[in-house]
Amino acid sequence: MLWTITCRRLKRDRRGISNIIVIALSLVIILAIVSNIVLWNYEMNQVDWEKMRENVIITNVERVTGSQFTFENDGGLTVHLVSLWIINSTDHQRYDISVFINSAETKNYLRDDISLPTGSYTVKVITERGNTAVYSGS
Amino acid sequence: MRKLSRNRRGITPVLSSLLLTVIAVAGMSIAITATYVITDELHDNMGERLIVEDVWFTTGQISLYLRNVGKVSIKVAAVYVNRTDQTFTSLELEQDKHGWLTVTYGWSADSAYEIKVVTRRGTNVVDYYMSPS
Repeated sequence: MLWTITCRRLKRDRRGISNIIVIALSLVIILAIVSNIVLWNYEMNQVDWEKMRENVIITNVERVTGSQFTFENDGGLTVHLVSLWIINSTDHQRYDISVFINSAETKNYLRDDISLPTGSYTVKVITERGNTAVYSGS
Repeated sequence: MRKLSRNRRGITPVLSSLLLTVIAVAGMSIAITATYVITDELHDNMGERLIVEDVWFTTGQISLYLRNVGKVSIKVAAVYVNRTDQTFTSLELEQDKHGWLTVTYGWSADSAYEIKVVTRRGTNVVDYYMSPS
């Protein structure tokens, strides 16, 4: 009996409903902002983590018909090489490349159009995630 | 019909309800827009990544080859050499794009220079580079 009366009173008493609606909507907005930022932050942390796990080495550079470069992937992720630099005291030459190397794989990359400079030079490769490997030769 | 048109009782509550609805909808729209703007700005700030592929010292200038490795486009806002603001060619890079940034600077041979590149959103890349001898 008492329970029924209380229920009826609660149904009729509409004071404070607007406050509850405002709080609920505010919570929805705050939740949307926080979840959005947390998810994006998680994604960017993932990007940085992957970059840290990358490890590529230039093990050899040879003069053949053109030039042959040997890359070794010592990291746990597949790397994508996107830039190749041939640098000497007078020139910094950049070439677009697209070489994928699986984890623990060694790959030879031959380029007919690249000739190594005489004297000492530096070869540099850049990965898609933003890491660099350097090789000095002469 | 005449009775209905003459009977104006109950109009005030209807108007007030309508006005409150309009105010509530406008308030929510403002709140949602503000949410979008704030999160979008934070997104962009957190998604910026930039690397310097190469630095080339040539007569009277230092050229930096930049690559955008982030999730948003970037625009270089300032370049500092040894903590001094320098003039440079404007550079804007979309995602995965790259290009030369030329800084006018009279450098000396065989010296270390601290070069800092700052983007419009405040991300910065700083490192020391040796000039050739």
